Amino acid sequence: MESTRPDSRPPASSVVWPAKINHVPKEIFVSNELFEEELKRIFYGEEWHAVAHEGEIPNIGDFKTFRHARVPLLITRAEDGSINVMYNACSHRGSQVETKPHGNKLEFECPYHRWLFDAKGSLVGCPAKPGDFSDTFRKEDYPLACPRVAVVHGLIFITLSDKTPPIEEWMAGWTEQLGEVLGGDGRLRLLGYQKVVFRSNWKIYHDNDAYHAPLLHQAFRMLNWQGGKGVQRADERGHRGFRSELSLPRAQTLLKDASLIQYMNNEKSSGLSVSVHLFPAAVSISHLNSIGIRFMSPISVDETEVHYAYFAHADDDEALVRHRVRQSSNLLGPCGLVSMEDASVFHRLYTGSHTPGNAVFQKGVGDEYTMPVEFSQNDESANLPGWEHYRKIMGLKQEEK
Amino acid sequence: MNDVAPEILAVIDDLQLRYINALDSQDMNTWLHTFSDDESASYICNTAESAEAGHQIALILDDNRLRLQDRVTFVTRVWAGTYPEYRTRHLVQRTSCQEIQEGLFEVESHVFVSRIPADTGRAELFTTGVYKDRIRVDEQGACFESKHFVMDTSILERYLVFPL
Repeated sequence: MESTRPDSRPPASSVVWPAKINHVPKEIFVSNELFEEELKRIFYGEEWHAVAHEGEIPNIGDFKTFRHARVPLLITRAEDGSINVMYNACSHRGSQVETKPHGNKLEFECPYHRWLFDAKGSLVGCPAKPGDFSDTFRKEDYPLACPRVAVVHGLIFITLSDKTPPIEEWMAGWTEQLGEVLGGDGRLRLLGYQKVVFRSNWKIYHDNDAYHAPLLHQAFRMLNWQGGKGVQRADERGHRGFRSELSLPRAQTLLKDASLIQYMNNEKSSGLSVSVHLFPAAVSISHLNSIGIRFMSPISVDETEVHYAYFAHADDDEALVRHRVRQSSNLLGPCGLVSMEDASVFHRLYTGSHTPGNAVFQKGVGDEYTMPVEFSQNDESANLPGWEHYRKIMGLKQEEK
Repeated sequence: MNDVAPEILAVIDDLQLRYINALDSQDMNTWLHTFSDDESASYICNTAESAEAGHQIALILDDNRLRLQDRVTFVTRVWAGTYPEYRTRHLVQRTSCQEIQEGLFEVESHVFVSRIPADTGRAELFTTGVYKDRIRVDEQGACFESKHFVMDTSILERYLVFPL
């Protein structure tokens, strides 16, 4: 498989990438010029992006709106049960059609000139007297426009480019692991959201999200909670993921309510942590009994919005659902026991990135000029193939060795 | 609200002021002591968007006394030294008060919270919202049986260390 597409466009910026594969120029995190190019080349370019899961819109008429890198989307379940993703902008003059984050209805009216669309985006009404509109006007020519859509284990992806390879090819090697994260078969039931805006660049968020940083997360040390056996994989498209058997502390005195770190429903394992991070930033994680999808949207060079969506499995009994709710709320989100520090460190990294020089990766790096292909659980080096993919997409020149 | 005696309202308001004072002084033990000793004592913080959708996930879900105690541990021990410090300022205004059982009051208040991160020194309106509280008043004074903060904002700014 060709890992990165040939790019004949000029470099997106004059930033020159160091020859050492473990050095990343800090300037790329703070350059507004690069951010605008990233929108074109990555977010509107030849990648797939997760924007919703079917479990968020389980019933006929359910809808969700989402801003994908500034682009407003309307995601619906129509009368025939089908999933539809449309640009949330009227086919007439471009006014945003739906403004609520979610709801249930089968018709969407643009209030500007009362154009009315069904849940599949077809124009079903537009008030006009004979002769009001152009001679060639036909309602069927004015549906809401749509990006390309693909669904994998219930996770709904879009791409804005016609040239993006089919999703099976784009995420080859990751489909099975994604299924494992999403409850085995993707039949998920939404429990709710934690939505947060980070004052940081999206690449800082993605580079550091769910990367195991045992030194930052004191909870692991204080709980005597060592990582256990795990493997981490990464590929040339910038996708990465890990799978770890967690060895939970046998005796801990830190928490009075130990349910936060208990693992229900599987006696064969003391707990699993599985994640899939698909380039540029579609993150799914199951950790103990918390099943989460993080929908990321870059707002500007220094602002990144992330919607943490949490799920139960459709077959869970009420006790397990309640356990998932209690664990998900307090463990892994922006106020979670083992993750609040992530949120604060994203901002520090963004502030620090205004200084000259490079961010340097060390853990797991052998020869500084050779891209590693195998990674241990806590290695920073698993992020490096993704950085090379990014460099190539952005057409950034690299220093000679 | 007029049915509740002024001296009871004064005790309830005093509890609320002790609560916001504890938070703005970042004194988690005093925060904990505004809650009942009952094992079902709870603090929940979620958004109006979540509450209206009936979603159970919260930003903070401390739904028993043990979790309230663990919250003190998170803030004072686990997270110590890992987050940029910030000040907050809470303003609170009681809007309704009803006695639902003898000595048990359902109280709603409007809340305004500003935040000033130490690294920027700038004030930001962190959030506004509503406290929906169940307050026990007896000879010992007043305490929260449950406190539920419903944030008006649906997007959290950066992160949350201290409860609101």
